Amino acid sequence: MPENINIDANQIDKINKITLEEKEFRIKNLELFKAAGFPNKRLEDWKFSDFKNIVDTNFKILDTNKVTTISKKIDLLKDFEHNYIFLINGNLHSSNFDYEKKEKIKVNSYNSSSNYKISDNPMVCLNHALAENGYLLEIGKNYKFKKILVVYNLFTKNLENKILNIKNKIKLNENSELHVMDYTINESKFINNTYEEVILEKDSKFKNINIQHNKSNGFFHKFLKNKLSLNSSYSNLIFSSGLKFNKLDIECDLIEKNSNCNILSALFLKKDEHQEIKTRINHLAPNCKSFQSVKNVLSPYSKGIFQGKIYVKDVAQKTDAYQLSKALLINDDAEFNSKPELEIYADDVKCSHGSTSGSVDENSLYYLMSRGLTRADATKLLIKGFLNDVVEFIKNPSIKKFIENKLEENINGY
Amino acid sequence: MLEIKNLKASINNRQILKGLNLSIKPGEVHAVMGPNGSGKSTLANVLSGKNGYEISGELNFEGKSLKKIPVEERAQKGIFLAFQYPLEIPGVNTNNFLKTSLNSIRKANGDKELDTLSFLKLVKEKSLELGIDEKILSRQLNVGFSGGEKKKNEILQMKILNPSFSILDETDSGLDIDALKIIANGVNSSRDKKKSFLVITHYQRLLDYIKPDFVHILSDGKIVKTGCSELAEELEKTGYKNFN
Ligand SMILES: Nc1ncnc2c1ncn2[C@@H]1O[C@H](COP(=O)(O)OP(=O)(O)OP(=O)(O)O)[C@@H](O)[C@H]1O
Ligand SMILES: [Mg+2]
Repeated sequence: MPENINIDANQIDKINKITLEEKEFRIKNLELFKAAGFPNKRLEDWKFSDFKNIVDTNFKILDTNKVTTISKKIDLLKDFEHNYIFLINGNLHSSNFDYEKKEKIKVNSYNSSSNYKISDNPMVCLNHALAENGYLLEIGKNYKFKKILVVYNLFTKNLENKILNIKNKIKLNENSELHVMDYTINESKFINNTYEEVILEKDSKFKNINIQHNKSNGFFHKFLKNKLSLNSSYSNLIFSSGLKFNKLDIECDLIEKNSNCNILSALFLKKDEHQEIKTRINHLAPNCKSFQSVKNVLSPYSKGIFQGKIYVKDVAQKTDAYQLSKALLINDDAEFNSKPELEIYADDVKCSHGSTSGSVDENSLYYLMSRGLTRADATKLLIKGFLNDVVEFIKNPSIKKFIENKLEENINGY
Repeated sequence: MLEIKNLKASINNRQILKGLNLSIKPGEVHAVMGPNGSGKSTLANVLSGKNGYEISGELNFEGKSLKKIPVEERAQKGIFLAFQYPLEIPGVNTNNFLKTSLNSIRKANGDKELDTLSFLKLVKEKSLELGIDEKILSRQLNVGFSGGEKKKNEILQMKILNPSFSILDETDSGLDIDALKIIANGVNSSRDKKKSFLVITHYQRLLDYIKPDFVHILSDGKIVKTGCSELAEELEKTGYKNFN
């Protein structure tokens, strides 16, 4: 048991309406977390992000006790029309689906924790043990959303020095389609530990954009588990976090034919920010496609990590898997680590991966400056250009504009 | 406008310009010809303010020394270089870049910045005037442009930024005859009493369209001969062997 964390022995008992089975599952996971503690760099999956060390340096004392919910009003985004779910500290506060057929949408609080696989990630164990907050969203068969759904994720001031465990589940039934923007607003210095599942049934389509409203002292870990059935499609676009620490651990199971998965990120890391994207794409059926493009711009004293694994099972013939990580270092005091991995057991596959990192190109700067741009403006333009292809992935013009402005805000302060 | 006296420039411990003299008055067009590796692009780079050269001698623009003026300020003062090899800048929209660029120059000169609408109007006008398809400006800067398109884009940039002193570094190389006319027209339509040009070229044919006031031969880092347009014709026949 880590020294700087207080977990109330009765916390699991206090969880409402749980079965004996679930209780046992939770207790078992708590034991696992206590034995392991916060993951440190000796664990292969954490070798570039020594979370124990990061927690120890930043938190003297932590607890997992529930906070009293403060009811708050949100300022809705005015940049584009959208449906919304409003979460306060992970709890479902309200939702609005005025643009949609409501009978096709099910949204509830979610606090079940059973039937999950035991994980070797101590943070996932901690989540399985204590998660009480979260939402469940299910979209009915053949229903395609007309407007994007914004999930406002507000974390309030009274979360200081706490660990919050959240569990979400999104299910798209056959031939349905949903676009979600996760929009995080954080007011506290705390640890957020989320486990999220996305289940895509046959022919369904899910697109996700991740972005933060503000820079904050959050330390976030999120494990994402996605299951893709026949012909389904999953996209995740990850933008700058502004968090002190952010680790996204994304696992995609392409379990049936012709499914495809895209993970793109455009990250601009500022001083003292630490961000890791870890992926594992499991090609478990033939004719599936995966595409990963991870771009990091690193300011001095920031750290970026990409660990990406592509696994191709023997039956997964005609797999098409692509992975590229590119880092742009604004100067030498930034650090970028990349660990691409391929594990392939099928013979008829197309897999490629690559990783580059370098500093801002002096000749390009010279060209731009010879047209009157200052060095700072020329650098900004090159940074924007570097991250541009991820933005280009967004088809809706007003959403694209919104993201561009957000990125711009970020880059302006470089 | 431009006074160069005994200009020496070296890079990586290698001397490239070895005591060059050149004087360009307002309204004049000077052509510079010379064998490969003689230092033509180096001269263009040094004038534009590229970093990395060790420089001695005099380098005055409009009566003031350029030596301590950084590249962007030279551009703001009206110096423009059309690159021999324009760079490809992925992800940067050409129009956005040009607008930022024009407004930096305007701002530095105390002019009002142009809004997007007036900027696009200006672009339309200039590309029409030159006969260049403005569609290339909505693409990423030089990315996937053909050789000729890159060169035309340089001239369009020149037209839009409206500099007082333009250096064209082999802008005519690799162009078809129509493109060559576009480039020449770009220069000719800008020529006036105040604007000057330094046109670096290997070919007499460009000088059939752009009539230079002077032709210089640059060889091994120095100007070894200066004459009028006939010098270029002579060169075409005899090559550089007589001018070392
Ligand atoms: N960074 C550098 N380091 C070392 N040598 C250089 C560098 N840049 C240029 N040179 C050398 O300086 C000489 C002049 O180069 P420059 O590009 O000015 O020639 P040029 O006259 O423009 O030739 P071309 O007609 O082929 O364009 C060449 O021999 C070149 O190799
Ligand atoms: Mg040259």
